[in-house]
Amino acid sequence: MSVFTLSQAAKEEVLLKELSTLVEHHRERCEPYGRILAASGYQPATSVAGLPWLPVRLFKNLDLKSIPDDEVYKVLTSSGTTGAEVSKIYLDKASAAEQTRKLGATVQSVLGPKRLPMILVDTKAMLKDRKSFSARGAGVLGMSNFGRNHVWALDNEGQVDVEALRGFLEQYGDEPFLIFGFTYLVWLHLYEVAREHGLDLGNGILIHSGGWKKLVDQAVSPEEFRKRLATVGLTKVHNYYGMIEQIGTIFLEGESGGSLYCPDFADVVIRDPETWAEQPVGKPGLIEVISTLPTSYPGHVLLTEDLGVVHGVDDGDWPGKRFSVLGRLPRAEARGCSDTYREAA
Amino acid sequence: MIQYRFGVEGDLTAPSDDRLTVGDPRVIDFLGKLARKLLVPAVARRHPELGSLGFFLRPAELHRTVTHLQRPDALVFPRGNVFHIPPANVDTIFVYSWALSALAGNHNVVRISERSATAADTILTALNEVLADADPVIARTQRMITYGRDDAVTGALSKWADLRVIWGGDSAVEAIRKHPLRPSARDLTFPDRTSWAALSAAGWRAADPAKRREAVLGFTNDSYWFDQAACSSPRTVFLVGENTDDVRAEFIELLLQVVDQRGWEIDAAMAVEKRVNAYGLAATGAVSSMEFPANSVTAMSLAAVPDAPRRWIGAGAFPFAQVGSLLELVPAMNRQDQTFSHFGFTHDELREFALTLGGRGVDRIVPFGQALTFGSIWDGYDLPREFTRLTTLVE
Repeated sequence: MSVFTLSQAAKEEVLLKELSTLVEHHRERCEPYGRILAASGYQPATSVAGLPWLPVRLFKNLDLKSIPDDEVYKVLTSSGTTGAEVSKIYLDKASAAEQTRKLGATVQSVLGPKRLPMILVDTKAMLKDRKSFSARGAGVLGMSNFGRNHVWALDNEGQVDVEALRGFLEQYGDEPFLIFGFTYLVWLHLYEVAREHGLDLGNGILIHSGGWKKLVDQAVSPEEFRKRLATVGLTKVHNYYGMIEQIGTIFLEGESGGSLYCPDFADVVIRDPETWAEQPVGKPGLIEVISTLPTSYPGHVLLTEDLGVVHGVDDGDWPGKRFSVLGRLPRAEARGCSDTYREAA
Repeated sequence: MIQYRFGVEGDLTAPSDDRLTVGDPRVIDFLGKLARKLLVPAVARRHPELGSLGFFLRPAELHRTVTHLQRPDALVFPRGNVFHIPPANVDTIFVYSWALSALAGNHNVVRISERSATAADTILTALNEVLADADPVIARTQRMITYGRDDAVTGALSKWADLRVIWGGDSAVEAIRKHPLRPSARDLTFPDRTSWAALSAAGWRAADPAKRREAVLGFTNDSYWFDQAACSSPRTVFLVGENTDDVRAEFIELLLQVVDQRGWEIDAAMAVEKRVNAYGLAATGAVSSMEFPANSVTAMSLAAVPDAPRRWIGAGAFPFAQVGSLLELVPAMNRQDQTFSHFGFTHDELREFALTLGGRGVDRIVPFGQALTFGSIWDGYDLPREFTRLTTLVE
């Protein structure tokens, strides 16, 4: 079962309808959102790109929710790497369940329906660190649901636990297994250790995320990352792009690499930061993320402060738009999963 | 780690035998030479704000200031030692603050921020060039330094000072005030301020197109020069009169044209910043409509005058509100409000507004285009007087 099935035209037809309904849903239930629409002179949209977007940073400044207080089941907070500001995302029971279900369906598109033995390229100790827990911990815990017989690749001191990895590979290395971790941790700890100790990761499927900044600092491009991982047998590699403000929705890299794809219930629009119109294929701009999942808070159409570019439409591993994230808008506040972790390493 | 940028290096707080007078000829000579350097066309073209500074430091202007200080009932002397802590963001302030204090004959130490920009470097270069053939007393009594957040240095200079001049807003004032002064010393503080603009609809309609354009040009300089973040940059624009929509529309139209012609650029990050702030104001109901005709201009309609935001909301972000008369604004003004720039009002309207305010808010009421023009009366203080002390002599 895949969630990457709809052609762009078919998807836009579905999304326009569902998201227009969601706009009304939030307008009625979230007063600040309704005021924003009124102040901007909103008229019903005739295209996905015409849907009204919110700057993602609003979730740091305001409490935006479309559910009564007594239905709040969970409040998610983003990693506040700069300290002061964190996003607050309100979920009710239904939306919490739905985002887990859709995230599962998305990763199963590359993992298959069965839970696989899983290597977590992280340290269990991180779960106890309350400050860094919010983003990195939630990411790891969320993803750990899709595996079984987990092994942590790093010990409590953040050192690679080679014996644990060897034990895991002896037991499960002959069948498909899942590897999950933040991109720079995978690079620093899994790739280099696998190469040094001759670990065979040939049956692994790697899902990774967390921004490229730390790797760009070491002059490692996404292409280089894939190429080098292939030298330790790891060829099934899927990067993803997602954010807490649109929890449950991830844009997943296709098997041939280099492009992220939108699941059937989500899309991206790249906007020209001068005219705010949609950019044509090949022209970089700000990434707007669109998803039908946010029903308990108005996060269904968000303008991020990330720059990206669409490479093509209906011409890749999966149908729809395929795109890349190019980096952050300069001067925008630092955010994301890159919390300080053994900076000296 | 102290970096000496101007003047003799060494112990900044050592007792000195040098004596300067109020309006000391050696200081006037120095400042006059500095003015000439800053008014050189090449410099003024690259940093127009240095041109204004040069104008401010012309000998005729300095003599006027000194004459103004004299009084029949007392003898006027320098205050003594003055420690200046200017802001990083408006990098000519340190020269105004220092020059007036030097003119008053004080021994000065100026802390120049590590984050100061190229205009500051240009001024320091000019200062040091002039110093080469100035009287050596200048280098011994006037010092400019850069150091990081070093409490020991700030503490020692605070104990040395007879007057401490703190720019840079509330947080700077609070941080510096942790360092005690001598009992006889005091602070001159420049905390966070908000500034406004007001446009008379009647005055606008009566003005010819050239006058309107000139007004908008002035307003544009006031607003965009320091990314609308200087304490004197106008934030909300009050439209005074009835049915002012046409005035607002034409004003915004001209603003877009002038900003474009002057080449003020608003980058993507700033455009996003403005969206975040405008949407935030809309979400709380403070603004009832918002327009984004271009990244350079964000226009909003305030729901009510008291909702006018006092914090910075981006470069080229203008809430508008209509009021029947200037007097309607009086209750909304408070001590935080500094500059009120105006266009199209009569002398009587402005005077009545000022008198009704009664000093409870707004320190400067100036025409469009002069919001950023520094004057020796600033934030309600007559600075040259603040930099001097008085001795009475009764025979």
